[in-house]
Amino acid sequence: MDPHALPALLPALPELWLCGAALALLMIGVFGGDRSTRPLCYLAIAALLVTFVLLLLGPEGRTVTFSGMFVVDPFGVFTKGLVLIGAMLAIVLSLGYIRHEGMERFEFPVLIVLATVGMLLMISANDLIALYLGLEMQSLALYVIAAFRRDSLRSTEAGLKYFVLGALASGMLLYGASLVYGFTGTTSFEDIARAVSVPGATDALGTLVGLVFILAGLAFKVSAVPFHMWTPDVYEGAPTPVTALFAVAPKVAAIGLFLRVMLEPFAALAGDWQQVIVVISIASMVLGALAAIRQTSIKRLMAYSSIGHMGYALIGLAAGSAEGVRGVLIYLAIYVVMNVGTFAVILCMRRGQGMVEDITELAGLSRTHPMLALAMTVFMFSLAGVPPLAGFFGKLYVFMAAIHAELYGLAVVGVVASVVGAYYYVRIVKLMYFDAPTDAFERPIRGEMAAVLVATGVLTALFFVYPAPLLAGAATAAAALVP
Amino acid sequence: MAEVGFWGGYAWPALLIALKVLAIVLPLLLIVAYVTLAERKVMAAMQLRVGPNVVGPLGVWQSFADALKMVFKETILPTGANRVVFLAAPALMFTLAMIGWAVIPFDDGLVLSDINVGVLYLFAISSLGVYGIIMAGWASNSRYAFLGALRSAAQMVSYEVSAGFVIITVLLAVGSLNLSDIVEAQRDLWLVIPLFPMFVIFFVSALAETNRHPFDLPEAESELVAGYQVEYSALTFGLFFIGEYANMCLMSALTTILFLGGWLAPFDVAPFTWIPGIVWFALKIALCLFVFVWVRATLPRYRYDQLMRLGWKVFLPISLFWVALTAVVLVVFDWLPQT
Amino acid sequence: MIVQAIAFYAFAAVTLAAAVMVIAARNPVHSVLFLILAFFNSAGLMVLLGAEFLAMILVIVYVGAVAVLFLFVVMMLDINFAELRQGFLQYLPIGGVIGLVLLAELLLLLGSDAIGSIAPAVASSAPTPPINEVTNTAALGELLYTRYVYLFQAAGIVLLIAMVGAIVLTLRQRVGVRKQSVGKQLRRRREAAVELKKVVPRGGV
Repeated sequence: MDPHALPALLPALPELWLCGAALALLMIGVFGGDRSTRPLCYLAIAALLVTFVLLLLGPEGRTVTFSGMFVVDPFGVFTKGLVLIGAMLAIVLSLGYIRHEGMERFEFPVLIVLATVGMLLMISANDLIALYLGLEMQSLALYVIAAFRRDSLRSTEAGLKYFVLGALASGMLLYGASLVYGFTGTTSFEDIARAVSVPGATDALGTLVGLVFILAGLAFKVSAVPFHMWTPDVYEGAPTPVTALFAVAPKVAAIGLFLRVMLEPFAALAGDWQQVIVVISIASMVLGALAAIRQTSIKRLMAYSSIGHMGYALIGLAAGSAEGVRGVLIYLAIYVVMNVGTFAVILCMRRGQGMVEDITELAGLSRTHPMLALAMTVFMFSLAGVPPLAGFFGKLYVFMAAIHAELYGLAVVGVVASVVGAYYYVRIVKLMYFDAPTDAFERPIRGEMAAVLVATGVLTALFFVYPAPLLAGAATAAAALVP
Repeated sequence: MAEVGFWGGYAWPALLIALKVLAIVLPLLLIVAYVTLAERKVMAAMQLRVGPNVVGPLGVWQSFADALKMVFKETILPTGANRVVFLAAPALMFTLAMIGWAVIPFDDGLVLSDINVGVLYLFAISSLGVYGIIMAGWASNSRYAFLGALRSAAQMVSYEVSAGFVIITVLLAVGSLNLSDIVEAQRDLWLVIPLFPMFVIFFVSALAETNRHPFDLPEAESELVAGYQVEYSALTFGLFFIGEYANMCLMSALTTILFLGGWLAPFDVAPFTWIPGIVWFALKIALCLFVFVWVRATLPRYRYDQLMRLGWKVFLPISLFWVALTAVVLVVFDWLPQT
Repeated sequence: MIVQAIAFYAFAAVTLAAAVMVIAARNPVHSVLFLILAFFNSAGLMVLLGAEFLAMILVIVYVGAVAVLFLFVVMMLDINFAELRQGFLQYLPIGGVIGLVLLAELLLLLGSDAIGSIAPAVASSAPTPPINEVTNTAALGELLYTRYVYLFQAAGIVLLIAMVGAIVLTLRQRVGVRKQSVGKQLRRRREAAVELKKVVPRGGV
């Protein structure tokens, strides 16, 4: 083959399009100034939508391009779809916020789009270098977005903390990647898989140590215990729509990457990484459930909640089977919907002077805003995993996978943790329905906010009516990863 | 492998190299001495003055008188100066101005070290020059010196960017990083003609890199007394002084090599080719140096914000555009150099 | 060969010594200067390896641009390093333990049989151009723009994000700054700027 020939660009069309769109948006922003922030937000949503369509129109089955560094498969399409939806909804949620809080700077939508490009590249990575570049692209943009309100002490602190700890995690990941490269002689996922599946190579200490470091780096990105410390501070400090973004899109991308890295190149070492994942998963679930109880800020609460949820998602990975992967994907899809909905409610918590974030502010919401309270109730019960809401099914599938993989302990801990966790979700519902009302939040709720609330609320509440498409999609995607 | 003796294997080659180095450095110092004199004479002529004419006929010994004066004066160490860095700075400046000449081809094959990344080497050397200045400014423990050093650091880093892009255009057109190859590639057409805007940008950047007028803000007399050099005296000052002029010569040599066809005669026909290449090379350098002086005598000093604006908002976009344009033209007309 | 060996040990020794001094020097400016020395000597090592392109780029980019800005900032900072070091002892135990663990791991790796299995189990799939025929500048270009073009472009986007981020976080439009507008200056006509007055002698304006 002619080495100078152009690589096949068609499989990477969604990414290329989004990248080009980001550059175009940047140019519009530079020439239009901060006045163009709002149109840019709409354009960014449109660009993400087009990417979504291109994604669905992409090649079926597994295709690799760019010298085998970029892979497109049903698993990637599924996760990328979730990421795109998450990013889109996050921009929609931020529309009102950036106006009220004086955050109208055109770089905001551009950076979100660029971060999304990074997430897509991460999911499609089929090479250690590609993995790192995608991860770094995503993280770098997110560090900046976290510190976007640079005049707010908490926002800059969040950005800085995220950056310093993120850089540490990247360092660990790189260290691990270099060890793996040193001991297998390649950075390509397929070649690593071949190298570690050679009999006798499975106990190569170097590769294992490398794998552990990569695991640590990835665990940081999904904020699993013991690499979760940044999460509450960053969630609390970052502007709320940014927190909403953090809670969904990067988490999905990171879990997607996590699954791919563990199940493709290192599948042969499953016995070794499985125990690590089990420990991380248990620790995340337990800490997420216990630490959230004492929180007073709703954003910190959501941070611990997300740590716990990542623990549940990792159960599926620990199972290591196609069923497990399917469970994780279903869990992620439901998680995105629930979280976006919850953050939409949080973003409605504003009074004359600005946003309020204390949980007690929700007291008596059922009397001042009955519909909002109803939506929040649905989301809280779903997050807690109360049947027949969507969250219950998410948990059900991963627990089933764990039991089929004979990880009974893990499943039991998961169930116990979700019972404990239910306490703080239910506490919010109690606050809303049984406590004396405080002042009402600002009215009216913006149109797009209401639309997001209704859509996510209905999806969460009525998932059990027609779950087939999601289940089928997740099954196809999982089959692509674990044959 | 054959056993090599100490003398045959190491000592003689080393001695030979040392001799070659001396053969470059000594004439260079002499030239620098006369460049300073020439500058004063040329400026005097432009300003309708006579210039130095006391020491020797037409003042030709003036440079030596200056040199002697500088050597015999006292080197003053300011109190609170960082002694090591203070003394290292002029030495660094001088060394850098000298080692750049190692890769300059004076004639076909007449070069100390014909490495194949010659352009990058020169670029690296010139980008190191900023350390001499910034170290001097910091170690002097003086406000004037420090301000001068800060200005100079920002200025040199800024103009290096556009100079780098100019060099990239030349590399695109030539297809080699070797300086001799670059000269040879200009046998038919000097690059100054197709790349004239780049030549202008490069020359102006060279002025800024060497802190010459109209970009001599690091040592602006009227604002900073003498900028980073303010605390230096005697030989330490002399080293800066020589370094600066040697750098001017080096930049002129680089301009000559990149754009004016190096040692090549202007026309490849009989009377011109009789003259040895090294003479052409020297003449072209002299021409560049004359323009350096001419600019100094003509233009007022830039203000700092104007300087930065010119570097980042004018030169950078233009040179970037030309890199792209050159690449496109070369590909479209299939003029890419074959290597 | 002996010259190469001497050069190697000289460069390597200076690199190491300078690297130690970077963290040992009392004065932060000295630390940066030692860092630059370390960079410079690593470039020397690369030249010895025959990677002259990388060596030059290291000097141009790291020494000539990055470290200058670094030095720039450090010189202007007013850090009390005695104060900064106070926390050092407090964190020394934990830092030391982590360092020791990493060291132990590395020793374990180097000491174990695993070192034997370093030999790549798969054939190298990267077609490196023949080192003796092309200059390493050309060889690098050949790989970078064909096989690794995806990574090259992705790295470009990462840098773009870094640039946008730096601007977002630091650029402030200050009010009341008078800026030069060249166009405005050039459009200004004599009539708008100069007024001629007939001054009667001893009459005043």
